[in-house]
Amino acid sequence: MEKKQIILSVKSVSKIYRMGEVDVPALRDATLDIYDGEFLIIVGPSGSGKSTLLNLIGGMDRPTRGRISFQETVLSDLSDKDLTLYRRNRVGFIFQFYNLIPTLTALENVQVAIEITQDTLDPMESLTMVGLQDRADHFPAQLSGGEQQRVSIARALSGNPDFILCDEPTGALDLEASKNILGLLVDLNQKLKKTVVLITHNSAISEIGHRVALIRDGSIHSIRSNEPPKPVEQISW
Amino acid sequence: MVNRILLRKLLRDLLQRKWSLVSLCLIVTIGIGCYISMAGVYRDLSGSKKRYYQNYRFPDFIVDLKRAPEWAVEEVASFPNVRAVRGRVNFSTLIDLPGKDEPISGVSISMPETNTPVLNDILLMSGTWFSGENDKEVILNDAFAQENGLYPGSRIKALLLDKQHELLVVGTAKSPEFVYLISPGGGELAPDPARFGVMYLTERFLQESCELEGAFNQIIGLAHDSSRTALTATFGLIKEKLDPYGVLNTSLAEDQPSARYLADELTGLKITSTVMPSIFLIVAALVLNVIMSRMVAQQRTVIGTLKALGYSSGSITRHYVSYGAIIGLIGGLGGIAFGYWAQGALVTLYREFYTLPDFEPHFYFDIFLIGMAISLAFAVLGTLKGVHHAALLEPAEAMRPPPPEKGGKVLPERIPFFWRRLPFRWKMILRAIFRNPFRSSVNVLASLVATALIFSALSMTDSLDYLMSYEFEKVSHQDITVSLRDPKDITTTREMLLLPTISETEPQLAVACDLKNGPYQKRVGVMGLVRNNRLYTPLDKDGNPIVIPERGLVLSKKLAEILNLAPGDTVTLRPLIGLRKEVLSPIVGTVDTFLGLSAYANINYLSNLIGEEWAANVIMGNTFQRTSERSFLDKLKLRPTVTGIRERTRALIQLDETFGETMGTMMSIMVLFAGLIAFGSVLNTTLVSLSERQREVGTLRVLGYSPANISRIFSGESLVVNVVGILLGLVFGILLAKSLSLAYSTELYRFPAIVYPWRLVMCAAIMVVFISAAQLIIYRLIRTLKWLEVLKIME
Repeated sequence: MEKKQIILSVKSVSKIYRMGEVDVPALRDATLDIYDGEFLIIVGPSGSGKSTLLNLIGGMDRPTRGRISFQETVLSDLSDKDLTLYRRNRVGFIFQFYNLIPTLTALENVQVAIEITQDTLDPMESLTMVGLQDRADHFPAQLSGGEQQRVSIARALSGNPDFILCDEPTGALDLEASKNILGLLVDLNQKLKKTVVLITHNSAISEIGHRVALIRDGSIHSIRSNEPPKPVEQISW
Repeated sequence: MVNRILLRKLLRDLLQRKWSLVSLCLIVTIGIGCYISMAGVYRDLSGSKKRYYQNYRFPDFIVDLKRAPEWAVEEVASFPNVRAVRGRVNFSTLIDLPGKDEPISGVSISMPETNTPVLNDILLMSGTWFSGENDKEVILNDAFAQENGLYPGSRIKALLLDKQHELLVVGTAKSPEFVYLISPGGGELAPDPARFGVMYLTERFLQESCELEGAFNQIIGLAHDSSRTALTATFGLIKEKLDPYGVLNTSLAEDQPSARYLADELTGLKITSTVMPSIFLIVAALVLNVIMSRMVAQQRTVIGTLKALGYSSGSITRHYVSYGAIIGLIGGLGGIAFGYWAQGALVTLYREFYTLPDFEPHFYFDIFLIGMAISLAFAVLGTLKGVHHAALLEPAEAMRPPPPEKGGKVLPERIPFFWRRLPFRWKMILRAIFRNPFRSSVNVLASLVATALIFSALSMTDSLDYLMSYEFEKVSHQDITVSLRDPKDITTTREMLLLPTISETEPQLAVACDLKNGPYQKRVGVMGLVRNNRLYTPLDKDGNPIVIPERGLVLSKKLAEILNLAPGDTVTLRPLIGLRKEVLSPIVGTVDTFLGLSAYANINYLSNLIGEEWAANVIMGNTFQRTSERSFLDKLKLRPTVTGIRERTRALIQLDETFGETMGTMMSIMVLFAGLIAFGSVLNTTLVSLSERQREVGTLRVLGYSPANISRIFSGESLVVNVVGILLGLVFGILLAKSLSLAYSTELYRFPAIVYPWRLVMCAAIMVVFISAAQLIIYRLIRTLKWLEVLKIME
């Protein structure tokens, strides 16, 4: 893989949660660069701080110490308003439990994201991309888990973000559905050239990324490259 | 800009909560409806009154005289502060209608021969003005004519002084003087247009018939400064300069009974139009708060997701606040529709009591706008507390499940002796109540407010009933009361005994007097009673007969309060008839009464004060039991000295028909509205607690609980909270009834606070009905809850 441009960098970031009387460090001194167009997988056991890291990258939370910069912008310097704009225009989120709004149809769940952004994809086009064009009028309760996650991907995509953050996207799915979703994410990365950051506790999945960051006890333990990444069809768990 | 997708989400969220939506909107609708209708009626009534008073020149002051020559009117017109005056003849009359055996009391008022604008002008409703060809033409009060089936062309007989005249009705008319048609002497609560007539006769004819040729006995006028202080100065001058003509009475026109009732009604309307809507809207706002806090908690992840998608805190706040706004909007629109309808209904009701031209329900755009603004404001305020907290959450935090609730012991658990003895179900119930103090408090408050409202409504009808039976059954025992023009020797009153069917009589002397104690003064009717009074026995509020001393006065508490007097003090008394000399009279006692400002004295003591011995101007009489013979009434019609005849039972029936029925209807509506508060709040708080504990319900179903078993847990919660609310509500209801009776303590009447124990029970039973209705809906929801799915979702 040729030398790529850094799109986002995490420098010595710590995050400490205050739980009642005690301080719980979730992230300690983590440092990580994310390259434009790469498929980065952050893998670690539960409680290792990977979701915290993802939330910080996505502008959903602020670090206690350290700095996160997206291109030229330091996220921790941003006001709430600018952080909101960052999430709105730069980031697409995919969650483990899909987080669809139960009272909106598949199509409307995609539309909810583009209502507030300028440079967007047609919501129906996004649904077509994930193969759900025929189920646009279904409510989340009428869709299978895999289908719901595909709506969630269409939603993340529709805002035309710079990168997509996936938090255990297959955590609630069976193997077949999981591979389907992962294939879709790899497609997005390869065909649409979207940067994808995926966190998982499942090391089998780490095979499909360009790079893998291993996280333990709140620190980045190691970073390795897969040369070449394994096709999705060949992984299993 | 409205986000269409979020709007769609909002509408679907609301549809899922249709019961909450409907009940809340209903409460808001009632609140806003009360405001719209009452504010509307207030403006209709006050506007109509203002125009009427202005266009028909309702005066500022009234001077009653014995006999003032016509030129004395010119003199008054030249006094400072006097803007316009009119002299007229105002004479009490007995009217004899064809086909009616009893004579009807009334007043005759002089009008110019030709229809020219004058003070206290009349508005012709049918027929014509006097023709000028026939002296004996009369224009009748329109309501009186209608009630008695009289039209232009009808003929009536009327007694003026000692002569009965046959008069031709040429027209019917309304006047600002008799908007509320009761006799100027007052003493009645409700108008009885069939039994009180106003006749307008030509000035010349009336002057001749009343032996007032070239003179008047009343001067009415407009002032430049119509304030009480300015007019008091004017009255001083009038009394001084017109003394030779016998100034009997000077009064502000606004103190005249019709004007006073109208003014009191308007004040009452203004207060009610603020208080009632506030009660409903505050309850709605609190309940909305409970619902929104729950919805926001339920949609925590949705909020996190929206934030992750780039929605700002502001737009999320706006989204959730819109729920309140929608309820405010629907409730507001409903309130406008309902309020406008109720405004029409109220105007129709008011028309039965108040006769005003162009008194119509009008469409007030600004009141609608204010109503809508109030509705929106309350609804939005109701959502803010719940929404604010969630909107400020960091998206990452919103995405995580909420921290577990504090699991500390609830209050009753800290009393182990009590707690250990509780059955399991009651432990669950008490925990749920104490774990949600805000929600439980809102429920208690709503139930308290509803109970207090219901009780005070029921108690108001009891008060009216009590008041009526007190005045007409306990105090008065006479069948008829005959008023005479002037005091006569007491022996002549026995003459009435000679009339057929009269079994006993009792004389009375009623004298209007000015009572003065330093700066405090009041004009009242002092009632002189015989020593062994049997037909009229004034009682104090506890039902004990008042003992009338040989010398001195017994005052009603309200009057003593106004004059700042206590037993043992003396008061300066000046009778307005007879000698009209100031004397000092001792206050022997005070007594709590319900109607008017009474003062009692011994009949001979009072006679002496007006320079007579044993005089009387009222004769009360009883007929032999079970006689329907009324021929004596016929005989009374022709007595020149008789100015009024009142039948006790008729007055009672009349009062019951007008006041009683209206009050009954209004109070039933009030009970229904208050019940809706209870229904709506119980339904909503229980729905919220049901939605929070769906998993618990699911788990209990798995464990083999039937829907009825589970309902019992939820209704148990409701039971505890509402029993507390109802009990507190009854206490507040009693206090409310007491404070209402204080608030309605006017010179005209004082409402007793009546608290019957069975009413308390009835009030609680009504509450149980409304609460059970809400519980039935909850039971249906528990029965149809898809509990297996609820459990699956959480896996």
